[in-house]
Amino acid sequence: MNRVLSGVGILALLVALSLPGQSAPAAPQPGGVLIVGRGVDSVTLSPYATAAPDAEVIAHVAETLYELTPEGRIVPKLAESMPRVSADGRTMTIRLRRGIRFHDGTPFDAHAVKWNFDFILNPENRVPFRGILLGEVASVDVLDRYTVRLHLRRPFVPLLAHLTHDFLAIHSPAAVERAGGMRPPNGEPYGRQPVGTGPFRLREWVRGDRIVLERNPDYWGPRKPLLDQIVWRAIPDDGARVLALEGGQVHVAVRVPPRETTRLALNRALRIDRTNSVRTIFIAFNNQKFTDVRVRQAFNYAVNKRAIVQTVLGGAARVSDAPISPGIVGYAPIQPGGWPYDVNRAKQLLAEAGYGGGLTVTLLHPTGRYVQDAAVAAAVQAQLRAAGIHARLQTMEWAAYLAYTNQPVDRTPVEAFMLGWGTVTGDADYGLFSLFHSSQWAPAGFNRAFYRNPQVDQLLDQARSELNPARRADLYKQAMTLIWRDAPWIFLHSESQTTGVRREVQGLVVHPTERILAHTAWLRR
Amino acid sequence: MWRYLAKRLLLAVPVLFGVSVVVFAAIRLIPGDPAQIMAGQAATQEVVEEIRRSLGLDQPLPVQYLYFLRNVLRGDLGRSLFNGAPVVEELGQRFPRTVRLALASMAVATLIGIPAGIAAATHRLSWVDTLVMVLALVGVSIPVFWLGLNLILVFSVRLGWLPAFGYETWRHLVLPSVTLGTASAAVIARMTRSSMLEVLGQDYVRTARAKGLPERAVVYRHALRNALIPVVTILGLQLGTLLSGAVLTETVFAWPGIGRLLVDAVLARDYPVIQGTVLLIAATFVALNVAVDVLYALLDPRIRYA
Repeated sequence: MNRVLSGVGILALLVALSLPGQSAPAAPQPGGVLIVGRGVDSVTLSPYATAAPDAEVIAHVAETLYELTPEGRIVPKLAESMPRVSADGRTMTIRLRRGIRFHDGTPFDAHAVKWNFDFILNPENRVPFRGILLGEVASVDVLDRYTVRLHLRRPFVPLLAHLTHDFLAIHSPAAVERAGGMRPPNGEPYGRQPVGTGPFRLREWVRGDRIVLERNPDYWGPRKPLLDQIVWRAIPDDGARVLALEGGQVHVAVRVPPRETTRLALNRALRIDRTNSVRTIFIAFNNQKFTDVRVRQAFNYAVNKRAIVQTVLGGAARVSDAPISPGIVGYAPIQPGGWPYDVNRAKQLLAEAGYGGGLTVTLLHPTGRYVQDAAVAAAVQAQLRAAGIHARLQTMEWAAYLAYTNQPVDRTPVEAFMLGWGTVTGDADYGLFSLFHSSQWAPAGFNRAFYRNPQVDQLLDQARSELNPARRADLYKQAMTLIWRDAPWIFLHSESQTTGVRREVQGLVVHPTERILAHTAWLRR
Repeated sequence: MWRYLAKRLLLAVPVLFGVSVVVFAAIRLIPGDPAQIMAGQAATQEVVEEIRRSLGLDQPLPVQYLYFLRNVLRGDLGRSLFNGAPVVEELGQRFPRTVRLALASMAVATLIGIPAGIAAATHRLSWVDTLVMVLALVGVSIPVFWLGLNLILVFSVRLGWLPAFGYETWRHLVLPSVTLGTASAAVIARMTRSSMLEVLGQDYVRTARAKGLPERAVVYRHALRNALIPVVTILGLQLGTLLSGAVLTETVFAWPGIGRLLVDAVLARDYPVIQGTVLLIAATFVALNVAVDVLYALLDPRIRYA
């Protein structure tokens, strides 16, 4: 009896204590373990990484010279200030912050930066993203202990955006040495035990299961980490991941399937976060087979993008109004609202092109790679039929798909295929050059549509070296306007990231570059 | 007996050799390039070629096979193309988890399946029989992921009794082993029932009853032991299947065993991991078959191996 009474008493006390806390705005509370459920494990936490699940963990452990904010601005991180670029655009000088140490106690300085970049630049090390991120960098100089200078082969403005990329994060040279180095193809053995300057450091990694980070108590930054630990757990099944969120075994579940969002929205313990992603989904034509621009435009008129986004994707996407999506430096809406849906116009264009009697096309699409990809393809197929276009759908498992759509132009049997492209550097160059420049035809680059427009080539080349941001933006706008009119793709949508988050989680950032960032996250108790 | 064992184990050598050849060839015949997947979709052809070279995938296939075989004989299954982890280490970490899940599921299946089968056989054509057979039909027909997700929904989300995923403690083991054991329980129940029915009609059972033995003794001492021989075969096969990794169960419960390892490896064309895992599974099957044969002899003194 006494115990019951005292239990009631404690309960009343707790209620009384918690009441004022609920009405006042909550102050960040330190401590606690944040558990993030995602579909896959990381592969490597080194510069050899190639995908977002690697990048989001690296982002907590090791830091970059600059940072891309969720709003799409570039701000200094390990750098002290924005870089000085010479008038000819051939050198970039960066001042570094002083007094920062790696988790192993060794100092962060210009030598460490040079060591990291030199390692990536050395072709023998075969770092996968070398060409994409640092391809135009010829060499790196140490001017003094806290100043580095990058020498460029030719002016290359996107470099600043590339320096925000987690694959160019600065790792402790001493730690790499101690771990036994980094070897291609995946940065082993260091890639399993990264050491950086970040707010969290690696505590444990059980392959295929979990990665545990713990707070770095000596973090240099102004905003100290609050969580004791961040745990990433690999829960491959979408349904099981959502259930783990509902059951409270994880605080965050990434990639919540659209069909679950309505139900989860009713759960008061959770909220659904929808953040735009820099990933654009499109159906590319083989432009060397579909040579008539009227036919390509007709496809665009025939597909009701808005209906697909509303019904198939449950609103978790944004209709494309340009070849790249908002949040990317250089983005501008080319056709607000997206390519209009007009079946009659489509039929008319097809008739003009000599396809009044209809047209048959094989449309390839992946299954399970992008949100609802197979369902989107089926919807496109149904809509095309109304315009007299018969699409045969063909799907392939991802590895086979990548290889199949990567054949050279004289051999490829591909007519049209669905793909997605994430502009993870946050700069238009990465989203346009690889995909639309004629030097990038597959298999050398990612222009698998075999699109070629000399004017576009010229504009994209120019934009790479245009130092004036306003003029540069204008070049991209011109290029995108030409691309849009040429319709080398069916422009579909950019994905939203649908993330389930438990109410007690505060300060979590879902970044447009498809990373969950918990640097300043905390748990309300 | 020992000679027989030695002979069986020797026979396993050509079997495993055959498996290694078939797996090696088959995974290279399917389209898809590990170097391309590893480099990421944005990589240039040059990078892909470099990776392919660094993995030795530019060598002629017979040469690659001989390297593989030489290393296997030294106990080295190579390294994962993706994360660089030694395959032996990876299997050493994951196989025990699969074994744990398989044994627990087997326990669930046996503890439910054999008594249910006996009950159905001894109460033939009664409501008990009908109930067991209907449940068995349902048990084999339920999709594993459906059952698994519903068990999580009830016992983890609604009731909060058991964790939804993970593999650390016995509490993590309950839902996956029930999920995985259900279909096996159904198969074992059906097998036990039909085998028992056959034995119960035999002359020696009639004799036992005629001696005036109590029904329990007739069923459990005389009939069951003989009825178990075909059941043991089924148990062996079921256990073999469970030990080769239950992909769906492991996926639903995020149980990092070899089933998921194999599927992930196939999707990523991680050749060394596929080869190593399949070899391990083949070896497990061979060992289990030998074990089942030995069990026969223990159960039935008439069976002798020479």
